[in-house]
Amino acid sequence: MKRVFAFSILMIAAIFLVLRPMNSFADEKTDTVNTPPESRLKLDYLCVSDSVILTANISIKKGESTLNLENAQATFTASNRSTSKQLGTAKTDQEGNAVIKISCSSLPANMEGVVEYAAAFSGNNKFPAAQATVNAKPAKIRLFFSIEDSLRILKVTATQKNEKGIEVPIPKETVLVYIPRLFSLLKIGEIALDENGTGTFEFPKEIVGDTLGNLVVIAKIEEHDLFGFVQGQNIINWGVHKQFYKAEVPSRELWTPIAPLWMIITLLVMLAGVWAHYAYAVYELIMIKRLSKKNKPLF
Amino acid sequence: MELEQKNPLKEFAPQLERTSILGYVWIIFLLMVIGVGFYAFLQQVIDGHEVTGMRDNVVWGVYIVNFIFFMGISYAGALISGTLHLFKTPWRKPIIRMAEFITIIALLIGPCFILLCIGRLDKLYYLVLFGRIQSPITWDVIAISTDIFGCFIFLYLSVLRDLATLRDYELLQLPKWRKKLYTVLALGYTGTPEQQQRLNRASDIMAAMVIAIAIIVYSVLAWIFSVTLQPGWHSTIFGPYFVIAAVYSGSAVLILCMWVFRKIYHLEEYITKKHFVAVGVIMLVLAAFFGYFTFSDYLTKWYGSEKNDELLIQLLFKEFYWPFIISNYLGVLLPLVVVGIAKFRTITNITLTAIVVVIALWLNRYLIVVPTLESPYLPIQDSRPEWLNYSATWVEWSLTATGVAVFCLLFTVASKFITIVPVSGLMKEEKKEDVLI
Repeated sequence: MKRVFAFSILMIAAIFLVLRPMNSFADEKTDTVNTPPESRLKLDYLCVSDSVILTANISIKKGESTLNLENAQATFTASNRSTSKQLGTAKTDQEGNAVIKISCSSLPANMEGVVEYAAAFSGNNKFPAAQATVNAKPAKIRLFFSIEDSLRILKVTATQKNEKGIEVPIPKETVLVYIPRLFSLLKIGEIALDENGTGTFEFPKEIVGDTLGNLVVIAKIEEHDLFGFVQGQNIINWGVHKQFYKAEVPSRELWTPIAPLWMIITLLVMLAGVWAHYAYAVYELIMIKRLSKKNKPLF
Repeated sequence: MELEQKNPLKEFAPQLERTSILGYVWIIFLLMVIGVGFYAFLQQVIDGHEVTGMRDNVVWGVYIVNFIFFMGISYAGALISGTLHLFKTPWRKPIIRMAEFITIIALLIGPCFILLCIGRLDKLYYLVLFGRIQSPITWDVIAISTDIFGCFIFLYLSVLRDLATLRDYELLQLPKWRKKLYTVLALGYTGTPEQQQRLNRASDIMAAMVIAIAIIVYSVLAWIFSVTLQPGWHSTIFGPYFVIAAVYSGSAVLILCMWVFRKIYHLEEYITKKHFVAVGVIMLVLAAFFGYFTFSDYLTKWYGSEKNDELLIQLLFKEFYWPFIISNYLGVLLPLVVVGIAKFRTITNITLTAIVVVIALWLNRYLIVVPTLESPYLPIQDSRPEWLNYSATWVEWSLTATGVAVFCLLFTVASKFITIVPVSGLMKEEKKEDVLI
């Protein structure tokens, strides 16, 4: 008996030794649960038409986990280092995003027309404060559609305002063209702008639009050092008309709400077979009980 | 008077009537382990799954390993007891009750580990409301609940004769409520030819059913893994492989139970070396099958040289080297040597081998679950390096220990309620011997 006990303890000890490499992260994880939380704020900038959309994402990092903070208030400001302007406040949603849309006009800009945008989270009892800034110069992208020699042409222009407030072209930049799809934007091409800030692109014919063939076309300058993210969009009915086909018989597949018939039949047959045997066993027990009235005890 | 002297119940009566001080200490120890587990469970409910080692990449850990393990030994108990019953194996009587207990108790504990894996237990009823028949998870829920009913009926049929014996044995010093309980549960069974005929018929049918259900249910559990395209899981032999592994681990657990109860209740006269060797031989045959399936599975993966399978095998031979060796080499070869060579075939050696087999088979399930999830087929968005590796926390280990403690506690309680060896069967044997003499 002692040998068996000693061996059992030895084996359990050996297992913990063996599992040691697999457990090497365990202590770290337990420690990180007790580490104080750290607030993080990420500010995204997007210039659309004559507006600026600022998105502040507030999250909390605790140990290894990062959680988006809901209902936190973010305060947005714009400045040119010498003067500052309050843009407003917004509360974060479930994803931790607080969004504000403001007009590009009357923003405090420096000599080059660059505006410094800032977002701040003042913190609370549980989480510390956080802030972030981003610099960008407002710009504008316009989209024009035309048909030339039976070709569908998309023309894009990009402009910025000079120190006098007059629109001037943005030359020699790359504009990316997208179509929104179900989950994300589908990139359909790139346009290199000429010195006049203009570029063209032959629009593909096979893109599926809505039932009327309408497509939302988005043109973007992305991650530019001066302009940041600039976006322009327009709608055109150049898409293939979407058609919905109604199946004559509801489809029974692995992925459809209703299961394949063979699966339902197999399951029912098997369950019926099994439960019928159970019922028979229970019936025999009932019969044993009924027979007991006539019987004598065992001893 | 003569019957009274020959009645083996007289020998088993102290087991039912009294609990020794050591027995109480044992029960208190188990309750303490369960208490720690309950505290760990509360921590998990309050703080969420962050207190476990499970993250976005490795979403299953030791909980699912324990689930597979306990369900495995449960099905093994059903298969062994059902087979021994159907084939009327002569040496089955002293050990068949243990196999039946293993079936029921492990079947009650196993699904609890699945519940521990679920983050939102309050939404559990969604499984009934929105469960899809196409999902292997739904198959598993249906299969396990069907199996629980079947195993309870089978166990009840098996203990009915003993319940009647306990009801009618007047010398048994038990509280009145227990006597009443035996009377109610015995259903007025007195062993008339017609009652015996009906009981035998029902038992035979249920024995066949529990064998069939055990195979189906454990295959369904295997399909939860194998119907996915994950490397290491997507295998056509996973169904039979799981069934073999289950019976293999169950035979080892049965040997451990035999050893423990033989020592505690001094059953040396009933559970002899013959029984250990017989179950040991079952374990040996299953070890050979298990080794064959394991080799076949890994050989085809290795030879196929598919990128993700290769990565998994590299992971198994590097980061999981020792668990892999214990699980798939030691766990296979040791029973072949110890039970295969007559010189080593002693009760102690077979029991020690069973301990190794139980641990090896638990590690086998760990190696099926964790390394695969640590090498996902598709990249996961926003994943972090620290989420790639899984390591169980104290919460998971203590709940694992709780599972084992509950198993031991229920076994102890069950052995206090009904004899661990079917006395009615032994009485019948003795009567037969009398006739022959």
